[in-house]
Amino acid sequence: MASSTSGSSSSSKVVKIRSSDNENFEVEEAAAARSETIKKLLEDVGDDADVIPLPNVDAKTLVKVMEWCKKHMDDVDELNKEEMKTWDAEFVDMDQSCLYNVLLAANFLNIKELLDQLTQKVADMIKGKSPEEIRATFNIKNDFTPEEEAEIRKQNAWAFE
Amino acid sequence: MDAGMDFLNFLETDMSMKILTSLEDAADLARISSVSHTWRQFVVENSFWKRLCLRRFPQLVKVARIVEVNNYEVNEPSVGSSKSKEWETLEREHRAYAKLGGRCTSFAVEDCISEAISASSTDNFPEESILHTLEPKDVVGRRASYWSSKGQSDPSVPETLTYSLVSDFCIITEISVKPFKAYFQPGSPIYSARYVRFRVGHPKINLSLEIDSLDESSHDDKFIWTYTSQKFRMTQENILQKFKLPEPILCIGGILQIELLGRVQKQEMDGLFYICVMEHVSGFS
Repeated sequence: MASSTSGSSSSSKVVKIRSSDNENFEVEEAAAARSETIKKLLEDVGDDADVIPLPNVDAKTLVKVMEWCKKHMDDVDELNKEEMKTWDAEFVDMDQSCLYNVLLAANFLNIKELLDQLTQKVADMIKGKSPEEIRATFNIKNDFTPEEEAEIRKQNAWAFE
Repeated sequence: MDAGMDFLNFLETDMSMKILTSLEDAADLARISSVSHTWRQFVVENSFWKRLCLRRFPQLVKVARIVEVNNYEVNEPSVGSSKSKEWETLEREHRAYAKLGGRCTSFAVEDCISEAISASSTDNFPEESILHTLEPKDVVGRRASYWSSKGQSDPSVPETLTYSLVSDFCIITEISVKPFKAYFQPGSPIYSARYVRFRVGHPKINLSLEIDSLDESSHDDKFIWTYTSQKFRMTQENILQKFKLPEPILCIGGILQIELLGRVQKQEMDGLFYICVMEHVSGFS
């Protein structure tokens, strides 16, 4: 971890990345390098890189991911921690299809911290909910017969009080 | 309005794993297992219950087989029939660990020692029997209530007290021991031990242990110990000394043994070392 970040504007080198639907983006290298995948690609191609193609991420998703990367470009000092927490909480508050797409992208781009935040967000949508509420949240059809469901509930009756 | 999507169908397996693994509450795990066939299958196939139990009690790695053999009641009607053998095994594990996980969530802390089984030695039976160590009162019928070992000239001879617990599943967090102060002897000596160590385990065979052999020598060969604690230093004080285990210990099989190591107090009358204990209390969740 680099400890002497002398201002974020000092390293304003820009890299180009391309989404699966062929949109190009210019992003500060420090932000893009939050992605281990991009960082590795940058190291491999060196300075003669033109555009880095990201065949698994569409433009809409990439915008979201880069928004997060820009915010998380620098190490956060103690003062900003609370503010950052609030920002992160608002960031992951998106509709489900968007959430899953960003999650897939974070996995592909290998951005561990973002991946953790997103999986935690989905887990929080499950926590403390009844099976009925979980089904409603994720639009899942109950395909148990009433007998099966009664049997399963009986096995762990304590959890359904 | 945001349309919900079943992420199990949408995300890759390892991501769904990551999401569901962060559910630490056993109740959540029980509830997601009853959402749909797909969800239940996912939980069973990936052994979520086992993982949860192992995270909580790493020593289960060693005793996992015993859980199934001794404590699993066979042939609950399974949900969905004609599954492969492998699936059956997974499902059986799922049920066994779910049961265990479920018990571990009831956090009622109470005494968990049920009955005394045996002491490695008893000086005067039944006046100084191990039975007295479960008596919360210090004095019963104008007689001090305590257990006393036989005297030894070698202070390093250890003693053990073995108890059965209230349930085959117990989680032990803390054990308390109170050394006995012989107020009726000159100088009121305290017959404490230098160290104390705890073991939990289960009987070798499923024999019903009779209490009539209380003053007999050790029953050690009848038990298999699955956990042995560190040695805790005891102080030479006539107070309830609490020994908090570094982490909650899961006892499967319901046997607790207290090992008293090292004698400190010589009885003036005969010049022999004794250990006497008044009371034990244990916490479990």
